[in-house]
Amino acid sequence: MSAEQSKSVGSAISIKGVVKEFTRGGQTLRVLDSLDLNVPEGSFEALMGPSGSGKSTLLNLIAGLDKPTSGEITVAGARLDKMSDAEITAWRAANVGIVFQSYNLLPVLTALENVELPLLLHKMSSAERKKRAQIALDIVGLSDRMGHYPRMLSGGQEQRVAIARAIVNDPKVIIGDEPTGDLDRNSADEILKLFEQLNRELGKTIIMVTHDPEAAERATVIRRLNKGVLA
Amino acid sequence: MNLPGLAVRNIYRNPVRLALTIAGVAVALLTFVTLRTAVMSWDEAKNYTLKDRLVTRHKVTFVMDLPKNYADDVRDLKGADGKPLIRASTFLNWFGGKDPAHENDFFATIAADHTTFLTVYDEIKIPDDQLKAFNETRNGAVVGDLLAAKFNWKVGDNITLESPIFGARENGEPWAFKIVGLYSTTSKAVDRLTFYFRWDYMNDGVRAEAKDRVGWIASRSVDAAHAAEVTAAIDKRFDDADTQTLTQDEATFFQGFMGMVSSVLAIMSYLSYIILAILGLILANAISMSVRERTNEYASMKAIGFHAKTLASLILTESTLIALAGAIPGVILSYLIVDVALGDFLEYNLANFFPVFRVKIWTYAEAVAAATVIGLLAGIVPALTVARLNVVENLRRVA
Ligand SMILES: Nc1ncnc2c1ncn2[C@@H]1O[C@H](COP(=O)(O)OP(=O)(O)OP(=O)(O)O)[C@@H](O)[C@H]1O
Ligand SMILES: [Mg+2]
Repeated sequence: MSAEQSKSVGSAISIKGVVKEFTRGGQTLRVLDSLDLNVPEGSFEALMGPSGSGKSTLLNLIAGLDKPTSGEITVAGARLDKMSDAEITAWRAANVGIVFQSYNLLPVLTALENVELPLLLHKMSSAERKKRAQIALDIVGLSDRMGHYPRMLSGGQEQRVAIARAIVNDPKVIIGDEPTGDLDRNSADEILKLFEQLNRELGKTIIMVTHDPEAAERATVIRRLNKGVLA
Repeated sequence: MNLPGLAVRNIYRNPVRLALTIAGVAVALLTFVTLRTAVMSWDEAKNYTLKDRLVTRHKVTFVMDLPKNYADDVRDLKGADGKPLIRASTFLNWFGGKDPAHENDFFATIAADHTTFLTVYDEIKIPDDQLKAFNETRNGAVVGDLLAAKFNWKVGDNITLESPIFGARENGEPWAFKIVGLYSTTSKAVDRLTFYFRWDYMNDGVRAEAKDRVGWIASRSVDAAHAAEVTAAIDKRFDDADTQTLTQDEATFFQGFMGMVSSVLAIMSYLSYIILAILGLILANAISMSVRERTNEYASMKAIGFHAKTLASLILTESTLIALAGAIPGVILSYLIVDVALGDFLEYNLANFFPVFRVKIWTYAEAVAAATVIGLLAGIVPALTVARLNVVENLRRVA
């Protein structure tokens, strides 16, 4: 086993010397500057920092939604910076669950169907799909809302459906970009409790961006990003 | 739940837009079917014309007439081998008659030589006793059964017509006719809306300078396969005479007579394709609007792991289904309006121009196929837009 490989053993996310620049109108903006990050498997981390510091940019790189300008990104054992778009898309379907600030549920689908959606990407009988989606909804405590459409749910409930959708494929890594940003204190607490439970009981690696110090307190590690550099 | 199911649910999302789009597609297809049917039925009219029926008229224009003895010359024409070229021949005049009782209703009035007429137009059927009466009654007329039904004419009725072409009778009396028979036909080549009367009765009544002149000579060649040579032989016969002729077989004559119409047909044909383009724009507009409203849904599906190709086919499925949803009422509407209502009306009232006005099954197939293909095409731009959608930028916008 080479030194390089042994280093990434036990780490769900490993980032080395990542630079991310955006070019707009001839101007280049360096958002992430030679960033290193190592998130061990089973860690629950909060990412904080001022607006515009590059938190979402970093999460997008981890989720494979965007590519770094340079540097290495390894998530759940895959070298994202070396993969094609199609490969990353397929990889993401199996390995990462994403929860956004706006829940992004499909309004024409019921809670159960929204959770089933990612399972359409896998060969699976419809009965099996349904069963798994029911289990995921049960985990987030919404077994009694399966037939409800998003418009019939509260914000907190919608976000819990979104979390069920993120975990239904049993991904190793869950990413949340301000998942409680639109919620009141009580609903936010429920979501955070859910994250703790997913982390503790199911061993999911979670990285969550938040502006809320109370939310960050629930995580095991708090990291701060400032001007593209992790403190 | 599956992806086609998701496409179907997206279709129902905006019922008002869906209803308007379906109505737009249906009306566009109705127009398409109407235009195609008009073009095809006009085209088809010439299929009923006979290749071996020859029409001889004045070389300059069919408005000018010919000496009556030309009819005998045509009938007696022989080939180089001395065998007859013509097996039957008759002569006719356009009378331009009008019934003062039906001032605004046009119908054709033709003077025909009763002794030879039915040998050339053997599709015309007249009951034996009525034919006998026609032969025995100098001012007798046989009228199409449909025309008789329209004007409520019966055998035995006396009809007076006026002719702007020939004026009053030489002796000052009106043109009085007695309906002695009603005819039907065995082929659509001959309409059932004409008023035929005896040529000798017309010849009696016209002014001296119009006597013994015929409008055109209709004949049947012995051999349909050599119609072209026979028409040439007829015209050659009168090459050195004072009045030259132009002879065409019925099919060619029909096209010449309808010559002006052919440009109208071309325009109709052209318009039918313009209609399809409009249909495409209606669909493309509806699909683009719907897809744009759902941009962030497609972005989040991409974030979940759906491939660009999958999302593109989701949109193409949706646009094709909407087109089909409009094609079905479009076909039903076309059947009811074009095939049933308009078809009956035109075949009855404008049989000369539209002997058969029925939608071909092929036209329906063409309409549905066109809608399907256009539906697919209309989805291409939105599908490509979604396929190229940048997830990060779109999720930024909503967050
Ligand atoms: N696609 C892009 N094109 C150009 N600039 C971008 C793009 N995405 C991000 N940026 C810039 O990168 C910087 C970091 O943005 P990012 O969204 O990562 O910040 P953030 O830390 O998530 O902020 P917030 O707390 O407000 O969500 C900002 O200055 C932003 O304008
Ligand atoms: Mg952000």
